[in-house]
Amino acid sequence: MHPAFSVIFFTVTSGAGYGLIALLCLLNFLYFGMLLDKSTFFICATVGSALFTMGLISSTFHLANPKNAWRAFMRFRTSWLAREGILAILFYPILFLYLFLVYIDFQIENFMFMQAYSFFIFLMSVLIIHCTGMIYACLKTIPQWNTFWTPINYITIGISLGSLILFFILDFNNYNVDPYKYYLLAAIAFSFFTKISYYISIRGSRHNIGQATNAAIKLKSTNVRLLDVGHTGGTFLTDEFGYKVAEKKLFRVKTFSIISGFLAPFTLIYIHSFVFESMLLCILAISLAFFGMVAERWLFFAQAKHVVNLYHGSQNV
Amino acid sequence: MAEKQDKISFKKNAFIDNANKMPEFENHQQQTQKNTTCYMCACRCGIKVTLENNKIRYIQGEPTHPVNKGVLCAKGNAGIMKQISPARLRQPMMRKPGSERGTSEFVPISWDEALDMLTERLQKIRETDPKKLAFFTGRDQMQALTGLWAQQFGTINWAAHGGFCSVNMAAAGLYTTGFSFWEFGDPDWERTKYFMLWGVAEDHASNPMKMGINKLKERGGKFVAINPVRTGYQAVADEWVPIKPGTDAMLALSLIHVLLKNELFDWEFLVRYTNAHYLVVNTPRTKGDGLFYRNSNGTPQSWDLEKECLVNATDPKIKPALLGEYKAPDGTQLKTAFTIMTERYMSDEYTPENASKICGVPADQIKKIALELAHVAFKESIEIETEWTDWTGRKHDKFIGRPVSMHAMRGISAHSNGFQACRAIHFLQVLLGSVDSPGGHLAKPPYPRHVAPPIKPGKNVVPGKPLESWPLGFPTEPEDLAIDDEGNPLRIDKAYSWEAPIANHGLMHMAITNAVAGDPYEIDTMIFFMANMAWNSTMNTTKMRENLCAKNEDGEYKIPFLVVCDAFDSETVGYADLVIPDTTYLERYDTISILDRPISEPHAVCDSIRAPILEPDRDVRPWQSVLVELAGRLKFPEFTSDNGERKFKDYKDFIINYEKVPGVGFLAGWRGENGENSLKGKPNPKQWDKYIENKCFFEYKLADNHKYFRGANKDYLEFAKKSGFNSSSDPIIIELYSEKLQKFKLAGMGLYDGPQPKKERDQFRLSRFFDPIPEYYIPLEHRCTFSQAFPFYAITQRPMFMYHSWDSQNAWLRQLQAHNYMHMNKAKGEELGIKDLSWVWVESNTGKIKVQVKLMEGCQSDTIWTWNAIGKQKGKWGLSEDANESTKGFLMNHLINEHLPCADTGSPVTNSDPITGQAAWYDLKVNIYPAADDEQFGVYPNFEASTKLPGRPETKDILRYNTKKPVRLSRSLIDILTKGGFEK
Amino acid sequence: MRLGLVVDLDKCVGCSACAIACKQWNTSGTSGSLTDYRPYGADPSGVFFNRIRHYETGNYPDSKTVHFPMSCMHCEEAACVTVCPTGASYKREEDGIVLVDPEKCMGCNYCAWACPYGARELDREEGVMKKCTLCVDRIYDENLPKEERKPACVMTCPTTARYFGDFDDPNSEVSIVSRKRDGQELFPELGYKPVNQYLSPRKKVEIKQHEISEPNLVRKVKDWVNKVVEL
Repeated sequence: MHPAFSVIFFTVTSGAGYGLIALLCLLNFLYFGMLLDKSTFFICATVGSALFTMGLISSTFHLANPKNAWRAFMRFRTSWLAREGILAILFYPILFLYLFLVYIDFQIENFMFMQAYSFFIFLMSVLIIHCTGMIYACLKTIPQWNTFWTPINYITIGISLGSLILFFILDFNNYNVDPYKYYLLAAIAFSFFTKISYYISIRGSRHNIGQATNAAIKLKSTNVRLLDVGHTGGTFLTDEFGYKVAEKKLFRVKTFSIISGFLAPFTLIYIHSFVFESMLLCILAISLAFFGMVAERWLFFAQAKHVVNLYHGSQNV
Repeated sequence: MAEKQDKISFKKNAFIDNANKMPEFENHQQQTQKNTTCYMCACRCGIKVTLENNKIRYIQGEPTHPVNKGVLCAKGNAGIMKQISPARLRQPMMRKPGSERGTSEFVPISWDEALDMLTERLQKIRETDPKKLAFFTGRDQMQALTGLWAQQFGTINWAAHGGFCSVNMAAAGLYTTGFSFWEFGDPDWERTKYFMLWGVAEDHASNPMKMGINKLKERGGKFVAINPVRTGYQAVADEWVPIKPGTDAMLALSLIHVLLKNELFDWEFLVRYTNAHYLVVNTPRTKGDGLFYRNSNGTPQSWDLEKECLVNATDPKIKPALLGEYKAPDGTQLKTAFTIMTERYMSDEYTPENASKICGVPADQIKKIALELAHVAFKESIEIETEWTDWTGRKHDKFIGRPVSMHAMRGISAHSNGFQACRAIHFLQVLLGSVDSPGGHLAKPPYPRHVAPPIKPGKNVVPGKPLESWPLGFPTEPEDLAIDDEGNPLRIDKAYSWEAPIANHGLMHMAITNAVAGDPYEIDTMIFFMANMAWNSTMNTTKMRENLCAKNEDGEYKIPFLVVCDAFDSETVGYADLVIPDTTYLERYDTISILDRPISEPHAVCDSIRAPILEPDRDVRPWQSVLVELAGRLKFPEFTSDNGERKFKDYKDFIINYEKVPGVGFLAGWRGENGENSLKGKPNPKQWDKYIENKCFFEYKLADNHKYFRGANKDYLEFAKKSGFNSSSDPIIIELYSEKLQKFKLAGMGLYDGPQPKKERDQFRLSRFFDPIPEYYIPLEHRCTFSQAFPFYAITQRPMFMYHSWDSQNAWLRQLQAHNYMHMNKAKGEELGIKDLSWVWVESNTGKIKVQVKLMEGCQSDTIWTWNAIGKQKGKWGLSEDANESTKGFLMNHLINEHLPCADTGSPVTNSDPITGQAAWYDLKVNIYPAADDEQFGVYPNFEASTKLPGRPETKDILRYNTKKPVRLSRSLIDILTKGGFEK
Repeated sequence: MRLGLVVDLDKCVGCSACAIACKQWNTSGTSGSLTDYRPYGADPSGVFFNRIRHYETGNYPDSKTVHFPMSCMHCEEAACVTVCPTGASYKREEDGIVLVDPEKCMGCNYCAWACPYGARELDREEGVMKKCTLCVDRIYDENLPKEERKPACVMTCPTTARYFGDFDDPNSEVSIVSRKRDGQELFPELGYKPVNQYLSPRKKVEIKQHEISEPNLVRKVKDWVNKVVEL
């Protein structure tokens, strides 16, 4: 699939944003109340909201007819894209009300309610990332996406990016991050594990040209090959689905994304936490992770092969 | 069909309910429908055109039309894009004074200026030496008019594009069975059980062939395709026979070998309908050898088995011997024609084993096909209970049919052995008794005609006078040739000369070369109509483009004045001194006449017209109107009244009132003063209106007893005479043995009482190739090309969606294909280290081209092929300079020479069939090898971009054609919000 | 009703008549215009609802070429419809035709991603997704002659390789022909239940060979006896 920058940016930033919010609220929940001082809390909430808002705005850039974008919530009953959209929109008032309640120290009087509210926001954030993942995972036409590892990847990567950002903010504000750094390393490691699992799960191909045509051609010989695609100048289909990238390049990007997105941040945070403490390492870790995840998301698209390619000359997808 | 419709509307109520909920998508009140005849190719289907807001809403096949019965091909469906093409010429133009020919620099002029200029020039030529005008037309569907015009002008230098299209097919048929393929005959699609398709490069006939294949398949009949390439039609064949190009005669004759060896042929058919029993003089190497033995009245003789003496071979009720050697009372040794055939075809030369070596078709497959043919012809014969009378007066109560049919075209035709190959195919049909028999190969009226049609080519050019006969005709003996006393050609294309004696369609492909060489003479003016002679309709394109610009030492062009008439900015337009802009097919009146190339069906006499659908939005005129205008100005006798006034006001008036012979005109329908006569009758002033009322065609259905064996069907023969198709009602005897060819052969051998060739080269060609019965011989170019140096056959096909059309400028069709590849067999390519989609050099004796290659399975392994006429010159056809047609598209024509590459022939000789002059552009042999790494993009050769014509509109990057604001169908909000998935 | 097409791969000669007829009808139809990009320039392209691919199977000389027209299959469980967030993409309850409401489409391409058959093409000029409508603007038009109330592709097909009708009606032409010839759907594994059916190339027609008493019995013409046939 053609890796559109707007979509890559959207999934990475919104994932990080929702991941950050989710974690923030989870902390509130786990710590039975406000762990952070209000200013730090609101810095985190602002960064998180800014990230997913940027992502959502970016996602509209790939629409050919954005004036109808508001209709994208209509089909929540069947469409993961609509579900993602409607949850993302609903999330704003819900989050703002929460932030307002936090601002007015509502938890002091209504502890249980706010506990529940925190957990609810945590769940909702994760659910939104899950929806984003499901937009892709539900497509049976793209075997590299159509796996349960896809939403898991989206969630773990979103959370791991959010965790990194949260760690940085906490550390910057001189919080004791001792317990948190173990969690962060675990989050990065876990996201790495899910990503590797994803890569293992999409090895090989799921469909071949035989499935696409043989049922109809029904000849004994199975070696169906494209002779002529029927047009010489390209079409919407070949433009949209015919994205091809050299194996070498895929390998390079994959290596980069694994190092930059997982191994380097892990190592840097480890060094920062246990060897040599430096905020620069932290900043470097976040930047590398972000670029690594952009590369990871680029790969997610570039590696995905739509089954329609079977009709256009691919023997397998 | 009616039954099917009833069934399909079973749930009619549901349809009606839905219809009620639908918006009115089409505003039928603002739409009108008009009929006309398609001209996107030469198939001539009936079309119904819906107009809306003075634009074309929709072009569809006319359901009642005899040719296409409602269907329409991709070309026909793309007519709208032809009508709005930016390549349409807009006004008359002349070459810009001072500019060089070929640069496409023009200045617009008025019609008065253009016509005055042309009239003045033509007047001068006509009054001095009419043959100095060479008038060649391309995919002309008005040859009855252009030919008449040339004849009235007095020039013999007229022909259409048949010389490089299919003259071999037409000639072989007309010199054998009296009809042929395509316009002359069709398989009996309603009944045939076994269909062989020989060498059809996705070409003629477009829709009828497709409709026929459907019928064959519905019946469960077998479809065998003989073709080096498996695309298009061959794809759906039951059996594909990948034959080596140019060897079809060998295959056909080997099939005959198997049939004869097993005595599997229609004995009665041969005796009754052919000349197989005629006695042939058997006195080798003496005068008269090989001619029929005739009595003192000139009647050919046969041996009567009962009377045991010579009898008139054409007398009814004789019982002639088909086989045997006899002695005439005067002692002359005689053999029946059939004996000569059996001796040849049963010889070892034509065994399947030997044929296999030449054709590349396994011997077992040849035997199998032959025995299948015999089985279907003789064991699955069909009977139609209809009483009919044969020419002897014998009554029959049924027609007995041999349901084997064949169609053959380009792949047979475009070889220098194509005439004999096509005759060999007809022989196969004749032996099986499937000629004009139910289920077999049927003639289309006005065919069959007597063998050969009694028209001789005109040759007496007299200043200021018409030619004594049509420029084109059917020579039957050397006396008919258009040569002077010295034996030199009279025609500029050397048709009807010793180089191409039976060139029934002329040799358009030689016209430029010969005119530039002044061989046989220089000309003054050349007119091309609808012929792209500077590009894809010529051999040796690069040289031909130079030729068109060649100058004498005095700086004058060797072809002093070149007139090009076309509707579009073709490559040839760029070379014109005067451009006459034609209309599109939707903007004019036309006739598709029985006098010309009619649209008849096997069992119906048909013709049709075009009537304008739209007014031209440019200053253009239909060429036929221009011809009638010029004929009036030049005062041609047929176009001028006794008082010197013009006889015809315009083209329409000419069509109504011109009579070839009393009662016979261009249109056969609604003749007579009130339209009461069919086929023959007085002119009807309302004839055009009648055609328009009747969806622009006329169909006269044959009576049941007229439908088969028409060459020997008494009632049909009388009907054909009465209708003016044939001049006599004598039986049309199938000429298996061609005495006509033998006469030319004797002339070549120096054994003929009459004109004989003087050049050794011509003597060789005549004595070698004019065999009275077909044989396989190696195509001429192959004989003189080193097969080691040029190991591959190179041929072309035209994709169905562009066949016979002019449509690379068509915005819809060019999306399907804007450039072509050179295709070759995959295993062969891999063996030679040629990678799929890499660039290769293809080299012939004549030149080389650099092209992109595509490997495929369905290609005979010694053959490479490409789609023809996809490549275009930069800037032509309204295309931008970066259009794929010029950056990646290419022509094979650069590799094909118009002369034979043989060194041993002395003066250059045309690369054509030695009998008919058919351009042998499928004879090409080439070498193919990978291009260097730094050459891996871009075609060679390239030509400079053409200058934009004055007035050509700027084309936009976006085209959004429609005729109205669309009426949308919307989905309600309720539906959106309440509908779940697909739960029932 | 379950309207759809049957495509006969045994008869399709790959002529593209259906593709161009579709283009022609629909560019002025309810989904019009069908935009063309660079119509006279490099790499011309445009919106088509019906495209023909060409395949080969087997190896020379036993290879077979198959022409393969594809358009919307009007799936019973159309993923393009379920994934559409706006509701622009829908399957009509009345007749099963899958349509796009251009007034509601936001041009996200998601439905095209969900379609395995390449049946949807974005009109970049209009910014909306377009697709085969089964000529919904023809088939219900009572002002057209009855026999012309068919999709343009079916009407024009010169080899009758395309049939149109209601698969819910067991006596419709499509049901009958599909039953008789064992109609197949494309990509059944994906489970979208495409309505359109494909008829496979039939088995080679076998013709008996004429019996011959003994191969090459007749060696010379002289062995033959003339038959007496009256002219």
